[in-house]
Amino acid sequence: MLKTYAYLLEGLTIRRVIGVTAICAVCSALLVWFFLNTYRDLLVSALSVGYTSMVLFTIAGNIRQSRISREAMQMLAIVAGSFLGTIIAGIVKGRDVRTMFTEKLSGVTITMSLGIGVGCVVVAAYILREKHARDQARLARAEAERHQLEKNILESRLQLMQAQVEPHFLFNTLANVQHLVETDPAEAARVLDSLIHYLRAALPQMRESTTNLGRELDMARAFLEINRVRMGSRLDFTIDVPEPLKVRAFPPMMLISLVENAVKHGVDPCCESGSITIRAIENEGTLRVSVEDTGEGIKAKKGGGVGLSNIRERLRALYGSAAKLVIEEKAPHGVVASIEVPTAVAPAAA
Amino acid sequence: MSGERVSAVIADDEPLLRAQLRTRLARLWPELAIVHEMENGRDILQVQDEHQADLFFLDIHMPGVNGLDAAKAICGRAHVVFVTAFDQYAVEAFERGAIDYVLKPFNEERLALTVTRLKERLGSRPPELAELFESLASRLAPRTPEHLRWIKASVGSNVRLIPVEEVLFFQSDEKYTRVVTAEAESLIRKPIRELLDELDPAKFWQIHRATIVNVDYIASVKRGLKDQAEITLREHSETLIVSRAFTHLFKQM
Repeated sequence: MLKTYAYLLEGLTIRRVIGVTAICAVCSALLVWFFLNTYRDLLVSALSVGYTSMVLFTIAGNIRQSRISREAMQMLAIVAGSFLGTIIAGIVKGRDVRTMFTEKLSGVTITMSLGIGVGCVVVAAYILREKHARDQARLARAEAERHQLEKNILESRLQLMQAQVEPHFLFNTLANVQHLVETDPAEAARVLDSLIHYLRAALPQMRESTTNLGRELDMARAFLEINRVRMGSRLDFTIDVPEPLKVRAFPPMMLISLVENAVKHGVDPCCESGSITIRAIENEGTLRVSVEDTGEGIKAKKGGGVGLSNIRERLRALYGSAAKLVIEEKAPHGVVASIEVPTAVAPAAA
Repeated sequence: MSGERVSAVIADDEPLLRAQLRTRLARLWPELAIVHEMENGRDILQVQDEHQADLFFLDIHMPGVNGLDAAKAICGRAHVVFVTAFDQYAVEAFERGAIDYVLKPFNEERLALTVTRLKERLGSRPPELAELFESLASRLAPRTPEHLRWIKASVGSNVRLIPVEEVLFFQSDEKYTRVVTAEAESLIRKPIRELLDELDPAKFWQIHRATIVNVDYIASVKRGLKDQAEITLREHSETLIVSRAFTHLFKQM
């Protein structure tokens, strides 16, 4: 039981006891000049008031309640402590408690007032110091958060640099071209065209740091064209993006990531055919680009989230909370993944 | 066996690549009959029951049942040749294990070499390599225990998919469970108890009868009242209570 309430005295350290004792000693030493009492007598009163206030102050600081602010509780504790302490001092000195409120009332009032006065000054100083420490901690936390953000930005740049063209994709596409060269040279040329288009955007060395939606769409289209050839009749796609939106700024390699997911985790695993639709709309300063597939949908225990959390981190690093990535299920089956960014016209790039 | 008709099945999810392999093999090995083509390894045993093929050309990466799983099923009953675009590990293992494979895009000479080897091998019984294929399969696609990766939460009339790594904590709230991410909060019906069974225990710790926290988002833990502890989160203002039964998780940390 005792253990249950031990937390109320948390913070009642040796340091605090020594501090209060020192303050009482100093105050008594100063007061001895103004009063007829002996130093010892004053010290006993001061210590009674000081220790009582200290214990109540500590309890007030630890009590869990939300009606009164912690600081107000602590001030109240000083008043109560001074009152109680003065009575305790009287008892310690062997005085009659009854006379304390009659003939000795003036002395008692003085002790109490002094206790309250000194107590309040000490507590105010303490609270200010605590607040300062809290502010410092908050400052340090803000600093740490800023560092984290900077780190995120760097990391997201790194991830962007490391985003690779999958060797599988490349070699399989080349194998298709190899076959088409013999059977349908015109189609082979078209696939090669798409591949070149895709590689221009996808190879890290060729990648530009700023890009617009139009260019990202070109890359996605090239990728989808290639996959349409590779997957035979199984893949169908539409791009529904108004012309004016194509000059809007859009972060690189995000759209293609969503499209790759739609092919790899959406349409490809379900063995029948599927379609992918890319849409963009602008509404009240927000550009929303979505990739919708009619694939098998996301299974609760299946992966595919790595690329997505990558996108989310990069969005946060670039736009803070102004951008988002939302993944939704689509009836009867399939997934819609959409990216929302604040609209801006991309700086003109060659 | 040379001179006799040899039968083979090709499995590849890409129709053009099946056609390509078929044409090339027809040139290099006229006695070989491609008796069947498959888009993936599903139903490979039924196919074999029907066709009794001598040889299977299996693409490694196919949706549904992949080449290694198909090989595991069929080995001992037919010879297997892997076809792959790029699988460093697999190719190394094939070299060591003397397993036949061809790389895409095809190299005419390399394919011819494989054909020669296969002709020699066809005289012997197809080797039992199930264990080898199993270990290869687990190396290519590690079969880690499956944990919950996505939370499906209704937002209006839509079902939103939240990757679990985005979730800061789950907390039961009477009938529902709160799913709290840095940006938003939603309610799901799945109770904490069920979530506990499905989430990755390395990442998600129960800290209270009603709370599961994502340890990645814990900023600090401090002692609270009555042997409890309090967790402060990154990117969220709410503090979480660690009840006495779970404070041991944070001892010595």
